[in-house]
Amino acid sequence: MVAEKLDKEAAGQLLDAMYLDMFHLIEEHTQCRVNLERANASGAILLARTRFQAGGCNSVSKAQIPTENSAEFNALCRVIKAKDENEVNIERHEVDKANGYVEPLHWFSVLPPMSLRHAVTKFRDCIELVAESTNLQRQLTDVLSWISKLRQSVLKQ
Amino acid sequence: MLKSTIIDTRVRLVPSVTLLEFLDAKKEHFEKVPENVAKLMKNEGYTLPLSTQIVKEQELSIKRPNIDQSLLRRLCADVHVEAEPAAKSTGKKNKKAAKGKQSSSEEVNEDAEPPKEYKNVLYLTDMHWLNDTLIQMRKDGICNLFLFELIESSDLVLPENEMKPRNPELEARCERLRAEQHNREYHKMTKNVDAGLKHYPEDTIAYQIKSLNKQIIAVLQFVFSVAAGFTFGFFGVNLMVGPLPFGFRILLGVIVALIIALAEMYFLAKKLHEYDEVLDAPKRMQQTAPKPHREAQSGVQALKPHAD
Repeated sequence: MVAEKLDKEAAGQLLDAMYLDMFHLIEEHTQCRVNLERANASGAILLARTRFQAGGCNSVSKAQIPTENSAEFNALCRVIKAKDENEVNIERHEVDKANGYVEPLHWFSVLPPMSLRHAVTKFRDCIELVAESTNLQRQLTDVLSWISKLRQSVLKQ
Repeated sequence: MLKSTIIDTRVRLVPSVTLLEFLDAKKEHFEKVPENVAKLMKNEGYTLPLSTQIVKEQELSIKRPNIDQSLLRRLCADVHVEAEPAAKSTGKKNKKAAKGKQSSSEEVNEDAEPPKEYKNVLYLTDMHWLNDTLIQMRKDGICNLFLFELIESSDLVLPENEMKPRNPELEARCERLRAEQHNREYHKMTKNVDAGLKHYPEDTIAYQIKSLNKQIIAVLQFVFSVAAGFTFGFFGVNLMVGPLPFGFRILLGVIVALIIALAEMYFLAKKLHEYDEVLDAPKRMQQTAPKPHREAQSGVQALKPHAD
């Protein structure tokens, strides 16, 4: 009897903690998405600025991106599984021309303008934020499923 | 309508009547109350005893709670997942229906109805406070309620994007720019059909050479003044002061040339930047008023037919 009561108490506290955790996760996730939106928007603006400054619409354009027939190259940035099974990480590789890791900036010009460089860093941040957001979302889904399970077990008692 | 950025990222909870009544019933036992909760109770028509201390939000600790995973797994070991979602959603629906307030309609058609302003809401800090207080009260044996029992009848308001109508000024400007773009494309397309359109100023060689000339002159000026500065340092000082050693003369010349180069560099950069602006200007002018331009152009053509 006492053990059961203790169990119920523990379950209740756990459920409370999970709800609070859920609220935390929601807030963090929202904040993360807001940051992502900001980084993406400023990156896009910087890109537009580059095109405006370089003049003409052919300066920084899709036509400079390699197509299917171009030489092969390796990705500089990969999504990998973190040690914790449920999370993802971003892995970045150094630029290394000999081994096929090319610098994408150099497709557009040998001396890329400052705004283009800034745009690149912004979009890099975006990728990090996307990974972070994914991790948070996974945690949130986990917590939600745990909450529903725990509620059932609490209701049963 | 455009979605704007989420400004307030906080999670909000609209307290249910049960929660408010609970707060009212147990108010004697609260030692401290967060500012927001105090305000909320005042707005809802409840009073707080005078002895209660009102604390600022910043003073409360908010940390993500640690979850005992092993205990969680043990407790949930005998639970089947399948039946839960349906049961839960209907349970929620019932609650919403029972409440019969704005929340249900908002859930159903989010786009049609702009989200209502919630005045009295609980934030995360308040929930942390409530949780801590409840733990304390359970310890003291005052009540036997849990946070989840209190908040399950309340509505959760998630942070949402604010819908903003598009600024009409911006819309007009976009429209104008689009029209200009189309116009320019059309002119480009019909350039070699309509003879009158053939000679835009920036197409003629004279125009390009002229603008090139300006820049070349600016650069030449720079070179000449630096050379003159060196000559002055090399010969001029020598003539004035008397015979100087050769090395010192070169040094003097280089110093004077450097000073002049620095000053000149500044003006050169400024000038070249201005030329860029001037070069861009006719393009912009042409977008806004292509027709008058064309007439002016024909005038130019009449004056200098040999331009091309």
